[in-house]
Amino acid sequence: MQLNLETPRSQEPLPTQPYDRWVSPEGHCQAEFHKPGAGFLIRFPGQADFLIAEPQGGSDYRVIGWPLPECDEAAIINLFHNAIQPILGNHTGGLFLHGSAVIAQGERGEQAEQGKQDGEASGAIAFLGLSRGGKTTLAGSFAKAGRPFLTEDVIDLQVSGGQYLLQPKRSKLRLFADSARHLLGEDTQIKDADMKQDVEAGSALPFADHAVPLRQVYVLGTDHRAPLAIQRFSMQEALSALMPHAFILDVEDKPRLKGHFARMADLSQDIACYALDFTREYAELPRVREAILDNLRGN
Amino acid sequence: MPCDLGERPELRMQLSDRFTCSDDVVAREVGGETVLLDLSSGQYFGLDIIGGRVWELLSERSQDLKELCDQIEAEFDAPRDRIEADLIALAKQLQDQELIAQAA
Repeated sequence: MQLNLETPRSQEPLPTQPYDRWVSPEGHCQAEFHKPGAGFLIRFPGQADFLIAEPQGGSDYRVIGWPLPECDEAAIINLFHNAIQPILGNHTGGLFLHGSAVIAQGERGEQAEQGKQDGEASGAIAFLGLSRGGKTTLAGSFAKAGRPFLTEDVIDLQVSGGQYLLQPKRSKLRLFADSARHLLGEDTQIKDADMKQDVEAGSALPFADHAVPLRQVYVLGTDHRAPLAIQRFSMQEALSALMPHAFILDVEDKPRLKGHFARMADLSQDIACYALDFTREYAELPRVREAILDNLRGN
Repeated sequence: MPCDLGERPELRMQLSDRFTCSDDVVAREVGGETVLLDLSSGQYFGLDIIGGRVWELLSERSQDLKELCDQIEAEFDAPRDRIEADLIALAKQLQDQELIAQAA
């Protein structure tokens, strides 16, 4: 799937009404979904429009992006990787979720970069949550403690040999200034204190560039003052907890939704899922990591 | 399961009432229970093993409650009067949530 970036343009009102919206917990529209006739148009207000053209004659989906003049290209590329690709991935029968992931078993630091294990089988854990829910910072915290991250925003699962292989994504963490400084030090250079920025992986924040079997999924709670708690979901609870973190292109396409529901049901039966609550304070993160690792060791 | 048949006799559910599953609902057996997702509302519902079997039968074709009771009686060890009361209660709940609708 290729992205063709067009000349920047402003976002004029569209002639169609959106058939779906992504809305943040604060009520802000993050994306609008339109059917302009052929294909789909996804508008990210204040950022970019993406037109998704249906494949023709065995070709792949074509994606054309129009950034706003004031929007920088890196942000648009990020939208393409973190939203458009997983949306289309699920639309075409894949299994994509909104979340971050780290290697929690079997590989530490440089070992992971070299594909080596420390004796136990490798295993990844995923953190699902809403935007600004703390999943990137939590993954970064594990990375800082020597547990390499695989992805910061998109969980891409491929089923192989009875396992869900979690695919590595981009070797960057998108962090706000305070999280970047917590993970990398107070002298970390910050371009814009109010915007997330890309922080490249490195020795301080190791990245794993190979697929690792998924062991557990943690769904981050929305109460940022809640005390630390890990509670296992029943399989039925897991299914309804996972579904909101999937990327859906066409909520009106019932055959595709049924297929997606079936894939998510399989995942909720095959992988242990937990509700994770914790107080969103940097000082809490070591305790949160230990609780998660204890939970992993106990299963 | 208690069955609230309401005050008005014309609203009472009959064993001859015929039902069909909503096209807006997807179902999947998960861990021994059936989870329903209503695509129009985004709501989830859970059915126990008998409720799940009723859903499975209804999703194959529209049926009246008597046919469903016959099938459940043949498959599960329970007295007929209890099966009828439970299925009427279940059908009412499913209909109230617009997960099933009366068929002609």
